[in-house]
Amino acid sequence: MFADDEINILVIVLDVNPIWWGQQAQREPQFTLSTCLDSLMVLANAHLVMSRTNKLAVIANLYQKSHFLYPSKQWKSGDEISTSSDGKYELLSVTNDLFAEEIRNLMDRTEVSGSHTDSLLAVSIAKALCCILNLWFMQIAGQDVKSRILVIKAAEDSTLQYMNFMNVIFAAQKKNILIDACVLDADSGLLQQACDITGGLYLKIPQKIALAQYLLWVFLPDAEQRSQLLLPPPVHVDYRAACFCHRNLIEIGYVCSVCLSIFCNFSPICTTCETAFKMPLPQMAKTKKKKVKTAN
Amino acid sequence: MDEEPERAKRWEGGYERTWEVLKEDESGSLKATVDDILFQAKRKRYMFEGHGQVRLGMMRHLFVIIDSSRSMEDQDLKPNRLTSTLKLMEFFVEEYFDQNPISQIGIITTKNKRAEKLTDLAGNPKKHIAALKKAVDGTCVGEPSLYNSLNVAMQTLKHMPAHTSKEILVIFSSLTTCDPANIYELIKTLNALKIRVSVIGLSAEVRVCTILTRETGGSYNVILDESHFKELLMLHVKPPPASSSSECSLIRMGFPQHVIASISDQDAKPSFSMSHLDSTSEPGLTLGGYFCPQCRAKYTELPVECKVCGLTLVSAPHLARSFHHLFPLEAFQETPLEEYEGERFCEACQGELKDKSIFTCQACKKVFCVECDLFIHDTLHCCPGCMQTDRTS
Repeated sequence: MFADDEINILVIVLDVNPIWWGQQAQREPQFTLSTCLDSLMVLANAHLVMSRTNKLAVIANLYQKSHFLYPSKQWKSGDEISTSSDGKYELLSVTNDLFAEEIRNLMDRTEVSGSHTDSLLAVSIAKALCCILNLWFMQIAGQDVKSRILVIKAAEDSTLQYMNFMNVIFAAQKKNILIDACVLDADSGLLQQACDITGGLYLKIPQKIALAQYLLWVFLPDAEQRSQLLLPPPVHVDYRAACFCHRNLIEIGYVCSVCLSIFCNFSPICTTCETAFKMPLPQMAKTKKKKVKTAN
Repeated sequence: MDEEPERAKRWEGGYERTWEVLKEDESGSLKATVDDILFQAKRKRYMFEGHGQVRLGMMRHLFVIIDSSRSMEDQDLKPNRLTSTLKLMEFFVEEYFDQNPISQIGIITTKNKRAEKLTDLAGNPKKHIAALKKAVDGTCVGEPSLYNSLNVAMQTLKHMPAHTSKEILVIFSSLTTCDPANIYELIKTLNALKIRVSVIGLSAEVRVCTILTRETGGSYNVILDESHFKELLMLHVKPPPASSSSECSLIRMGFPQHVIASISDQDAKPSFSMSHLDSTSEPGLTLGGYFCPQCRAKYTELPVECKVCGLTLVSAPHLARSFHHLFPLEAFQETPLEEYEGERFCEACQGELKDKSIFTCQACKKVFCVECDLFIHDTLHCCPGCMQTDRTS
């Protein structure tokens, strides 16, 4: 393994929906947000230690806003590196300290409002893509860049940003960036599609306390090494479309040729783009006209 | 035929003093100008032509006619014109199916005064790419026949339903064509069938091509070099505005489930895929696949038209890929870096803003650097700033 020839970029997107985490702390006191963050730090440190050229970024997703936990803007301007007292590798101690400080700041300045029990991950994944591309341009010629995004999902899915999410997935696929998903609670159809289309791994964790183990065993190896490991099998993804009128999943539907909206029944007007459709008329059989003999 | 006033030819216009663009600064170096030119080149990478609220032809049936006559052996494109064209065509086919997943392409070659179909109209890119790779070994002889090749394309396109957009793209390198009948009659027929013909010329402007494209509403361009050739090809990847006479209808489509079965399943029965029955290589028995919801015929890949019952089978992401054409992203406003007072950080990648100008989204007022702006408009098609505020897709 030529360590200098390859850069591995890992971006972790963490879902910090406060309502879900609050309820989680009451359901299972052994697994709270702090234990989850500890497991994440273990994964982050392991990734940084695997190779000198590996790069890391962490984004927290709050409802539909995203905040970069690492690298953060304040660090760039300050640049104080605290010397660790226990002899730990300095990059790891700096990373962990920054990580903890940023999440503390985030929690301090967030006001929990409303009752959003779902989280919209599209914006964090979009920012992760831009961040990866930024790091891409800093490479030296001749280096191979492999990147992946690990999404840790806690709260439920929301279908409100379906189109943005699909755009983000296709952009990741085009740039050969894998999207892995580690789901803590409810299955997410959108993330299953994302993992299937980009070639990543989808895993729903049976026991949340063992999160660190799952992260290290399943999500730490990169794409090349995964072919040699025995990993959880791919899940069956439901690619059926949902009709625009009832949101039911349908197997046969009608698609408007102008705006591509899907309907379950034939209707004369498309509700999205308001075009009137031509009704298919039944074919009339041509009757042969008998020649009328004109009597001379 | 209405005669528009012809454009002034290049030799009739004044001289262009291209050497005056480069300016030296005080120390005599050209660095600032070179940086400027590089920056402009980056910006030109996406030419944002907003169609506005014009209806687009999303389901396209496109025939590509590749000239394989003697003039294609010319070596002004390396290694020769034919190899260079076929390589760019492979790239074109991939991009085309990426942006128009429910459309179809067919390829026709013309040489020796005849035309023959290389591949039939199909929605699967692999077959076309394999055929293009094999065609590199073909010989280039004789003269092309524009009439014959357009005729072959027309025979198939005239049976296509009215709501699709019928197009022909001709890559024409020779300066002559050998036609058995009057080509102006054929142009009238093409017009009546609402087929749009565009031409990319590799040698020089040919008058019959000018009339052909003008009458049918297509575009005619002649290449300057290989990168210009690629740019012109990429212009045809985006869906064109639909002509006013194309009808809109509801198309019946099926969304099959992907069945992944393993040998240990009780009900799993191996079966043949309908698309491989005709092919001579590896008609394999497989356990999983896509089953048509109407007739239960099996296919291994989507999108495909079911051979048994005629239903078009697609999956929901295929339709989702075309959505960004329908809701295009507005261009961002460019302002010089010096005038910007806020924090010098790009909203999307958190990098420092170092370029000459920054880009602001009109809707959410967030700033982006030039690389993120390019990525957002080219690939992502949605603004990260707007995604944080609006709650509807």
